[in-house]
Amino acid sequence: MNIFSSISYTLHAASQASLYYYPLIFLGIVAFVMLALGIRNLNGKVFAGITFAAVLISMVMILLDPYDEVVVGNNALLFNRFTMFFAVILIISVLYIIFPAIRGLKSKPEIFYATLLFVLIGMLVSAFSYDLIIIFVAFEAVSLGTYVLAGYGKQKRHLEASAKYFFTGTIGTAFTVFGLSFFYTATGTFSLTSEVISSSPAMLIALIFLLIGFGFKLAIFPMHQWAIDAYDGTENSVSAFLSTGTKILAFMILIKIFLVGFAGDYHDIFLLFVILSVFSMTYANLAALSQNNLKRLLAYSSVAQAGYLILVIALVGYTGIGNVAYVAIAAGMFYSLVYIFMKGGSFLAMNLVNRESVSVSDVSGLARKSPITALSFAILLMGLAGIPFTGGFTAKYYLFLSLIEGNLWWLAVIAILNSAISVFYYFRVIMFMFWKEPTGEDHFNLTAYSKAPVIASAVIMVALFFFFYLLPTLNGIAPGLFATMGGI
Amino acid sequence: MFMLAIFIVLILLSFATFFMGARAGVFAKSSAALILILTVVYAFLNFSGTGAGGFTSESTYAFASGIGIYFSIGVDGLTVSLLILSAVISVIALLIANRKEYTASFYGLMLLTETGLFGILLSRDFLFFYIFWEIVLVPMYFIIGRFGGERKDTVSLKFFVYTHIGSVFILLSILTLFSYYYSYSGIFTLQMSTLLNSAFINNSSYLPLFWKDFMLFGFLLGFLVKLPSFPLHSWLPDSYTTAPYPATVMLAGGLSLMGGYGLFGILLPIYSTINSTVLWTLIALGIISLLYFAFTAMFQMNMKRMMAYASASAMGFVTISFAAGILDSTLSIRSIELSGGIFQIVAHGIIMALIFSVLYFMTENTGKENIYQMGGVHREMPWLSSFLLAGFLASLGLPGLAGFIGEFSIVVGMFQTVGWLIFFVILAMIITASYHIWTAQRSLYGAYNENLGKIKDASRSEIAILASVTLVIFVLGIYPNLIFGIISAYVGGII
Repeated sequence: MNIFSSISYTLHAASQASLYYYPLIFLGIVAFVMLALGIRNLNGKVFAGITFAAVLISMVMILLDPYDEVVVGNNALLFNRFTMFFAVILIISVLYIIFPAIRGLKSKPEIFYATLLFVLIGMLVSAFSYDLIIIFVAFEAVSLGTYVLAGYGKQKRHLEASAKYFFTGTIGTAFTVFGLSFFYTATGTFSLTSEVISSSPAMLIALIFLLIGFGFKLAIFPMHQWAIDAYDGTENSVSAFLSTGTKILAFMILIKIFLVGFAGDYHDIFLLFVILSVFSMTYANLAALSQNNLKRLLAYSSVAQAGYLILVIALVGYTGIGNVAYVAIAAGMFYSLVYIFMKGGSFLAMNLVNRESVSVSDVSGLARKSPITALSFAILLMGLAGIPFTGGFTAKYYLFLSLIEGNLWWLAVIAILNSAISVFYYFRVIMFMFWKEPTGEDHFNLTAYSKAPVIASAVIMVALFFFFYLLPTLNGIAPGLFATMGGI
Repeated sequence: MFMLAIFIVLILLSFATFFMGARAGVFAKSSAALILILTVVYAFLNFSGTGAGGFTSESTYAFASGIGIYFSIGVDGLTVSLLILSAVISVIALLIANRKEYTASFYGLMLLTETGLFGILLSRDFLFFYIFWEIVLVPMYFIIGRFGGERKDTVSLKFFVYTHIGSVFILLSILTLFSYYYSYSGIFTLQMSTLLNSAFINNSSYLPLFWKDFMLFGFLLGFLVKLPSFPLHSWLPDSYTTAPYPATVMLAGGLSLMGGYGLFGILLPIYSTINSTVLWTLIALGIISLLYFAFTAMFQMNMKRMMAYASASAMGFVTISFAAGILDSTLSIRSIELSGGIFQIVAHGIIMALIFSVLYFMTENTGKENIYQMGGVHREMPWLSSFLLAGFLASLGLPGLAGFIGEFSIVVGMFQTVGWLIFFVILAMIITASYHIWTAQRSLYGAYNENLGKIKDASRSEIAILASVTLVIFVLGIYPNLIFGIISAYVGGII
């Protein structure tokens, strides 16, 4: 099957499953309407409200869709509970930053919000897709949109961060395209199915190129350096989005491509991902220890968190498809959900400080000014460290549980020691918040826009701890990842 | 049910304390006293009969039964004595806290620590056990970091990270048991009563040998950090010294209690799975702890730091009693040995509470902690000096006081097993006795150090607190059966 017939299949099948396209179409229409409304010079809050409502409605539409498995085309798009789960959490990651973003918008808010909606459409398409070409196109749509978002700030350094992000992103894209072409050479298709079982040299090259290409977006060691600068340089809500939404998206794509597309090559996947994840965790945690810039600290911590996430891929590569793999994937799904709240919330907490770059000592004395906010931020940091009574603990618990079940005890030990190291820098921030005297003049920005998201995500973090229930459900959903492989 | 009610009341009270403002101190003190009374009443109702050491009132509530998570609590002879201990030390710690700087959050955090301890002891489900095990660290971290002495930033962080690393190994062990039990039986469960099953653990076709060792290693590492035992102790002197005195009381009684409970509550029921190499290693670690900490304590200038080492040294007896007790072949001696170890935990907690309380009042009145800056203070503060002497005597194991009972039964019991190694234990006991007496001599008696000027003795209410603690130590010393009976019934039920 060649590219053209693949695309024509897709178009043909569009009529079969049109129900699932409504949210995407709806979001697109709203985005264009907002662009049109832009000439009226409306307040940013209006656009934020419209975007919020539209995204919320699209989420409800997806949740209301029937749960039966629908395959469109030759595995071009797949709608089942697995893909819908990721669609919903990607929507959450967008929903999260809509209102906090208002603060950083200088002019033309409609462009920001319309771009955000276009990005969301790209995300949803790649969540549903099992065809490399469609994934690539949708992912590029997301990337281009996020380049715009990253530069959309009041200060010059936002533009600089955006440029840096753009250049490295383009390099990543180049690698992805190379990888795609080798994939096609080896298998003769772009579709991710089980027929693709081949371990030719071309396949290995494809694996490495695709890993580098998408690894850039996931920001794992050694492709992480751009992320530190970009997260640091962009507006807080944008960095929250970059480190949650696009990261989870990249993680989901990696799961799909490597666990489904390279199902014949699990041994190499295991080796590569173990190395990458151990290096990501260890390097990032050690680098974060010496950081005094709070946003860079959080950026390093998100590199480390990506290291925990890809443990899932390494584990499935080790055990092969089976019950343990489902537990691992379910753990990864739960981790993604929790991650959005804890990481997004922490980045949005940077809004509490009226400084261009936030250093650790800038939060000192926050507990005096607003104990509830300080406590909420502390809960989010504890979640990142994996302390009980936060969702972060439950997520880590399931992750380590699946590692033990897969007999990878040494990997679990490495991960756990890493998470113990990370306690150092998270608790250092807590220490500053609670026990240090405030520095200099009053530089806290304690408006509802900056406080509410932090408090809300802390509440959700604690609530997620009690969501033990979710895992059996996710465990039932996880096999949906392999739906295109047939017979599972 | 009654115990669950007490636990829930405790949780509510500790959260309420945060919102009490200026009255938080009184509120927390009376809450802790209420909990102590309720716990004692509970213990009296359920454990006063002879031979009642097994589980009473175990109850289970489904939490997420699909993946084997139940909230399940139960009380047995071991936990009830440790529950009383933690209630007692919480009351002491809260009653002595009298500084102005102790805000509502201080009292709330202290009560949260007590809640965590109760949770650890009550949980019969591994997940909740672990959660409470971790959560105890958080309020302690905040107390040390917020209200501690010099270097509080680094010390609180060191305390947290050090003990956290120990805890995560416990989590690994729990996960190991959980996943192998699942592959053996097809049931998801985290119930302690199911997982701590010697037949399952010893059968290498169910639990491979490597994983069994891994599991034991993780548990032992986590417990020995908390106890603490010799190579894993470096968090202890710093944390004890830096923590404010009420928190030091909690640390000395509460955290070593956690380690002791881990050994006797988690590992003792599966004692047949622990091979003799491990046990001999534990005995060696225990003896090294005894000697090394005793020597180190002897050379300390700071009284608080000295007592921190003394406390660690006393916990060496607990490690030895656990290992030697399992190695003993005679049933009756084994029972004496193990019960002695548990009794030692209880006695040690209360004795340390007394000593640290006295040191607190002394430091408040003199502003000095250093032994050489004191000298002859008995002339000016006879009450405090006498109470400190009583604490020292109990701590060195004088017959008639609580410390003696535990140490005596441990030493008697271990002779059969360890043979000539007992020489080192006796040596350590001699060193312990000598540095206690030496310190008393240098700081309390002799010529008065006139540099101290005029200092006041304990107030009447302080004397009342200290006297009642001393009374408890005395009563346990002459009538140990109050607790010893329950403990040996528990031990008898296991071996």
